[in-house]
Amino acid sequence: MNRYRREIAAAAALAALLATVALIAPSFFSPANARDLALNNAPALIVATGMTFVILTGQIDISVGSQFAVASITAGVLAKAGLPMPAVAAAVVICGCAMGAVNGVLVARWRIPSIVATLAMMVVLRDALRWATEGAWVQNLPRNFQWFGLGQTAGGFIIVLAALLIFAASIFLLGRVAAGRAVYAVGASSEAARLAGIDPRRVTFGVFVWMGALTALAAFVNAARFAEVPGNAGVGLELKAIAAVVVGGTAITGGRGTLAGTLAGAALLAVIGPALAFLGVNPYWEKALQGAIILAALLSEIALGRMQRHAQFASR
Amino acid sequence: MHNSPRAETDTPKKSPREIFNAWFPNNEWALLAVIAVEVFVFGISGENFLTAANGFEIGRLGVELGLLALALTPIIISGGIDLSAGSMMGLSAVVFGALWRDAQLPIPAAIVLTLAAGLAGGALNAVMIARFQLPPLIVTLGSFSLFRGLAEALTRGIENYSGFPPSFLFFGQGYLGGVLPPQLLLLGAAIIGYALLLHRTSIGRAIYAIGFSPEGARFAGIPVARRLALIYMLSGAAASAAAIVYVAHLGQAKADAGTGFELMAITAVVLGGTSIFGGRGTIPGSVLGLIAIVVLQNGLRLSGQPAELAGILTGALLVATILIDRATRRARIRTAAAAGIANGIAGDAEEAEEAGVKNSQVAVLSAVILAAALIVAGSNWLLVRSLRESAAPQGGKRGESSVEKSRPVIAMMPKAKGDPYFISCRQGAEEAARELGVDLLWDGPTDLDPAKQNEVVEAWITRGVDAIAVSVENQAGISTVLRKARERGIGVLTWDADSERDARDFFINQATPQGIGYTLMDEAARILDRRGEFAIITASLSAANQNEWIRHIRARLAAEYPEIKLVAVQPSDGDRDRAFAETQTVLKVHPGVRLVMAIAAPAVPGAAEAVKQSGRSEVKVTGLSLPNMCKPYVHSGVIESFVLWNTVDLGYLTVYAARALVAKELKPGARRLGAGRLGEIAVEGDEVRLGAPFIFNKSNIDRFDF
Repeated sequence: MNRYRREIAAAAALAALLATVALIAPSFFSPANARDLALNNAPALIVATGMTFVILTGQIDISVGSQFAVASITAGVLAKAGLPMPAVAAAVVICGCAMGAVNGVLVARWRIPSIVATLAMMVVLRDALRWATEGAWVQNLPRNFQWFGLGQTAGGFIIVLAALLIFAASIFLLGRVAAGRAVYAVGASSEAARLAGIDPRRVTFGVFVWMGALTALAAFVNAARFAEVPGNAGVGLELKAIAAVVVGGTAITGGRGTLAGTLAGAALLAVIGPALAFLGVNPYWEKALQGAIILAALLSEIALGRMQRHAQFASR
Repeated sequence: MHNSPRAETDTPKKSPREIFNAWFPNNEWALLAVIAVEVFVFGISGENFLTAANGFEIGRLGVELGLLALALTPIIISGGIDLSAGSMMGLSAVVFGALWRDAQLPIPAAIVLTLAAGLAGGALNAVMIARFQLPPLIVTLGSFSLFRGLAEALTRGIENYSGFPPSFLFFGQGYLGGVLPPQLLLLGAAIIGYALLLHRTSIGRAIYAIGFSPEGARFAGIPVARRLALIYMLSGAAASAAAIVYVAHLGQAKADAGTGFELMAITAVVLGGTSIFGGRGTIPGSVLGLIAIVVLQNGLRLSGQPAELAGILTGALLVATILIDRATRRARIRTAAAAGIANGIAGDAEEAEEAGVKNSQVAVLSAVILAAALIVAGSNWLLVRSLRESAAPQGGKRGESSVEKSRPVIAMMPKAKGDPYFISCRQGAEEAARELGVDLLWDGPTDLDPAKQNEVVEAWITRGVDAIAVSVENQAGISTVLRKARERGIGVLTWDADSERDARDFFINQATPQGIGYTLMDEAARILDRRGEFAIITASLSAANQNEWIRHIRARLAAEYPEIKLVAVQPSDGDRDRAFAETQTVLKVHPGVRLVMAIAAPAVPGAAEAVKQSGRSEVKVTGLSLPNMCKPYVHSGVIESFVLWNTVDLGYLTVYAARALVAKELKPGARRLGAGRLGEIAVEGDEVRLGAPFIFNKSNIDRFDF
């Protein structure tokens, strides 16, 4: 239990919130609402999955919001140019890998602290995009863009499935594959990992490329939910993703954390807004409550730790 | 100078190199060079950049950011971070406004209590971080939402405190002895205070020790928790002080004060050589970082460059300064090792080994700097070309007659540059500028920061344009600076949204808030057949215009349509995807809703897509948006109709009015204004009317392309 204290705290906060909603506004638990929530938050979950890798390595990436915007516009422009959707997807992911690789070089090769390197990337990408598009939307997309041309039900299914597949593959990767274990090793102690024969720089570089690829993929599936691509997508996405990961118990210093925790964190943050609306809470309080819930989740972890210590003490 | 163990072993006689290193322990000289280059480039390309007045103006712009950067420096040196500073500014601003206006406290008392509130907010962070040892990044991420959310909740987003007494506003807007902005004194005092605290006291030494190793600091007998608590509480108080300066500067207190300031402040600190890992950094470095950023923004504006360049160059600078630091640090360690004092800097040596900057990397670094320089050079070349073009028509005449003036410069500002609504206005403005042969400067905020509009106008005043036309975001805030522009003999227009009446010559009025609100409500009533429930999707909860419209919508609703009910007002932050999700939720929470009224341009297609995907054909969408964005939904029938005016014509008319104002054809008492393809436009008092709001629907939407 001690190991997963934070994950449990996040899950407990989520359960408490859902229980409150179940008592006061049971209509929240409808299949339609579940479907919409899953679909709306699938892209954020994909980004949070990538962010878990980055934070586990002891790094951070605050440029994902800007990467998301660049990838969205790239998807729109390429689709409009007449590329078939699979080719668009491939091109967008490559574009994401390229952006991630820039971060990777800055952090792994040149040893620039990740928060600084990605802060620079964040403003550079966002402002370059604004400069290039002047905020214009990509409109008049071909018919096969929205829902990949498959219709709402099938398209939505594919998006949620894609998010879940990526999530499951990531769990496998982190838990069972040497490259994934290396992420933990580097995050726990870069020096020890190096002595054990792991190249920390390669792992760090790879993690940022992976982050870029997942961000681009998230942008792609998000864009495919609509018929137009706005010029300024993903503002604040980085904070959302980081919040989901850290609320879900991943240590910001790296080396400790689970994807299950990230799922709990992402679910908690995804549910707060709609749940408050169902509870009839004035939207003016939403942001304040969101902050309070994050802080409460942190404090509950401490309370859990206390209880545990008391229990240990009593059993001695 | 203080974090190098060598300082203690120094012999009385220092070599010049050592003195140099003592002054710039983290290669802050690189920033001096950057600032010198900036001053040089902008001195050539920017108009009136190299004037004392502009120097003080730059100082004024940097005060709020500077206070945050100062407070963040020790926090980052201690290995922490405070993301909540910008949000604390918003909360402090509304607390200050409420204390002064609602609690009727005198200004000094309100200031003291606001600073106390800042301390309390900082204490919340401090308890979580110092007492419970939670990671600062997560804690302040939580309080980042909490503080801003409280500010919005306390004011319902609507409250905008203004009308502060002149003696208070003088602090933010006046000039001591005719030149010196008073708030610069506060910043100066804060710099000295923080420099003394960090570099001349044992507390400061303790913070460096904590940054190197919290464990080690504890073993050395440093009260780690208390020292950390101190700097986080100071940060809260500094954010409050920044908020008070901000309120005095803008003349208004609103929940959105300081949006995004935390990242700018962190950028300044890191640019100034403070290591994000802690243990290294100086106050002078942070001040230099601040100056580099503020000068860059101001200089780009004065040379008429797009504001987006500031972000791109700042990013490049961040990377470049750190790499320079790496390269020279390695060189220095090598020399130090050769001199046989390597033992003294063992800590650095390890880092140097990690850094491992090679010649090839220095080459790449040079390439980065070169690329950045090329961007500047390239855009300057564009500038020169545009200047040549503008000079060309006059040709040799310039020298012959001094009466022949160069082309008038008309500066026009949208509320937000990236907003599709304003992009369409720009189309019309540029069309008119071409027809009239005037130079059009188009610049404005790229983000939600409400102080940006003031900064841009200040820069235009310094630059010396002929006319300024502003779409006003914050009435109380911008009016003071517009009055200043009028005093300098610049023609001032407002368009799209008005300032206070005496702050401008004319208002290009496309529709009054009342007209918009009533038209929206009447249209909603028509679609609903005068009965049923509807919901509103607004922009952000603190958006001034939308709140004004909602007020009139409610008034009309109460007066005319007793059987219609407004069940929810939800924010979208002007984001299409957020509007989509909020609409989905509204439709489920209030199944009786038959109409969604979205009153921000990107929110209408978002709401329409949500209704379309819900498959509920009985629900309709209306609101305020642009034709191109909504066309598919209007044709498919999800959007029954929406309200707007011809935004292209609005931009067009504004430039014609500005030209007439400069030529003194449009003056008080004028009845008509010739406006090119629009023909004669009626002038009523001090307003130029574009016409009534227009209702777009299936039958007419294809006639419009914007």
